[in-house]
Amino acid sequence: MQYSFYDWDGIGPATPAGLDNWKAIFTQPELLQSVVNAFVLVVFYTVLPVGLGLVAASFIRELKPGAFSTTARVVLFVPQVLPLVAAGIAWTWMYSSDGLVNQVLRAVGLDQYTRAWLGDFTFALPAVGVIGVWVMLGFCTVLLLAGIGKIDPALYEAARLDGAGPVSEFFAVTLPGLRRELVVCTTFTIIAALASFDVVQIATQGGPGYQTMVPGVQIYRMTFLQQHVGQASALAVFLAVVVLLVIWPIQRLGRQK
Amino acid sequence: MRSLTHYCGTLRAAGVAAAAALLLAACAPGGNSEAGPVPSKPVSTGIGSEPVTLKLLVTSGVDVPFYTALGKLFRAKYSNVTVKVENQDYATLTTTIARTLAGNNVPDLVRVPQLGNLTKDHLLINLDPYAEAYGWHEWPQSQFASTRVGPDGRQRGTGSLYAAGAGFGLTGVYYNKALAQRIGMTRPPATVAEFEQLLAKAKDAGLQPIMINGKDGGSVYPLQNLVMSYAGDAQAVQDWNYTKPGASIDTAATVRAGTTLQRWGQAGYLPADVNDIDQTRAPAEFIKGNGVFFPSGNWQAPGLDKTGPGQFGFFLFPPGVAGGPSYTMTAAANLGIPAKSPNADVAAAFLDFAQTDQQARQETVTLGGLAPAGPSDAPAPTTPEGSAVAATVSAFQELLKSNGLVGFMADATASIHVNSLIPQTQLLLAGKTTPEAFAAKVQSDYERDLGR
Repeated sequence: MQYSFYDWDGIGPATPAGLDNWKAIFTQPELLQSVVNAFVLVVFYTVLPVGLGLVAASFIRELKPGAFSTTARVVLFVPQVLPLVAAGIAWTWMYSSDGLVNQVLRAVGLDQYTRAWLGDFTFALPAVGVIGVWVMLGFCTVLLLAGIGKIDPALYEAARLDGAGPVSEFFAVTLPGLRRELVVCTTFTIIAALASFDVVQIATQGGPGYQTMVPGVQIYRMTFLQQHVGQASALAVFLAVVVLLVIWPIQRLGRQK
Repeated sequence: MRSLTHYCGTLRAAGVAAAAALLLAACAPGGNSEAGPVPSKPVSTGIGSEPVTLKLLVTSGVDVPFYTALGKLFRAKYSNVTVKVENQDYATLTTTIARTLAGNNVPDLVRVPQLGNLTKDHLLINLDPYAEAYGWHEWPQSQFASTRVGPDGRQRGTGSLYAAGAGFGLTGVYYNKALAQRIGMTRPPATVAEFEQLLAKAKDAGLQPIMINGKDGGSVYPLQNLVMSYAGDAQAVQDWNYTKPGASIDTAATVRAGTTLQRWGQAGYLPADVNDIDQTRAPAEFIKGNGVFFPSGNWQAPGLDKTGPGQFGFFLFPPGVAGGPSYTMTAAANLGIPAKSPNADVAAAFLDFAQTDQQARQETVTLGGLAPAGPSDAPAPTTPEGSAVAATVSAFQELLKSNGLVGFMADATASIHVNSLIPQTQLLLAGKTTPEAFAAKVQSDYERDLGR
């Protein structure tokens, strides 16, 4: 916070900069766009994984405990334990012109849809987002599964006796019982989305153009490359405030009785 | 409603913390300027006889075997000196060098990726006294221009010397000899227009005319070359690189260069997925025959010679008009002496040795993949006949004599490359910005970087 009012390179003397560093956040189009991009990533990091995670967890609950359900858990959870840097490189290969994604498209005759995903102005950000879905899905599923395990089985029985099908059972019993887990999931994934750095740095470096630039990469560059510690601090504080503003209502929701 | 009061408390605490931070802000972070930039004691060209361990910090990769070999040669000459080579990858070194040099465990010689604020913060010693003592000022001076820094600690190309390199990277255009023959190229193109005709012929023959890495900045090279070719002079670009006050890149030549590059992209002379090709994939594709031309640097030459000996040639980017001056981007693999190094004299002796000793210069080419500079009467290292390396070394010797060496626009400021040149060139190639807007935007980003 203190640094954000100075022009400082991290080593030498600092000169007061007043509010210039803060003004820049709202006047430089690239900085603002990176914040917008981070919110687009929230869709991929939070909305999709939590939604899909709910579906996956419900299905796995229905499965008989056995080899298949264990395999499903492991496959979903693997991205959590892989280093993101390695994952980023692997996805970069898969997305390249001759990569796996395009090979699959060609194999099923969708040649007109093949493209260099991470080099495409329209699809680069969603492509990065899909990496986020892949990373976060396992985390959400495992957490929600644990939550489902804690729900009193008597509730499910009561629902069945009342003639509820699997879908209405899900809405009447599973969803309300998972409130706390959902809060933890959304909180964790939103922070990950807004503070995303490693996947973008490895996969696209913010390109093509400024399509996938995010505040995390900006802060890193300002600090280490440009040595504008003041400007970086301002953006970091701003990002922290944005995260808090987004997280706070969710936390409130979770506490309501 | 416990939760609400609870939050009010939190908010109040946050408010107090913010107020405290504002109060704290009254005392500024950071050090203060002292420590003169000149070596504090008189310099000496002697090594002495005390055992000395000279610590080098270089970048990972080719640098390590190269400087290790130089260290062995140096020890053979001065038996009391042990050279210890440590390394960090380029990106890490770029981000940590200032902290390393300001810290307590300081190397005696450090590979300087970018001077940045290193001179302003007095982290490197001024090499002028050593240049005087060793007679470096009698050598071709264009090799030292990029590491001279003016008294404002910012403008380069003038003032005192802060680093010197054993060898230089330089850029040009590689070509696949077999494919070039197929499109009827008998000699390197004499003008940009002639080069463009060759690209059209390659396209018509069903070949990929140019292979280039647009993802991480390869396409910035031809752009800069085009700017200099159209301007017929490199002075404007050089002033801009060295952040001379009032320098601008927002010129007619830049707009014209952007127009040409955009046209090449639209005509299919560049790969369709140019913005997705990085610096490891581009040479691999080129070796496979995917691309008649590959604009890149001499650091690629040893690799090309290893996989396809004699198959690849190299020429300097053609001028705008026939017989016009040729310009090439070069950057020295610079070494600087940290201000806190206790062995500055020995470090300077090592620097001089790397530039003048015949065996060391040979290693610069063979192991370093760089063109050696140094005195103009130094013997040229031997290179295999017809190899890409031979072509790059002889091109460099010519340029050294004609003063055709220009710095990279990418090095003008620490972040101009990643924050401006790369994304803007990508937008240009994708047709999402105009050449005029491109030139104006790069200039405004540059001025913002410099705080002007």
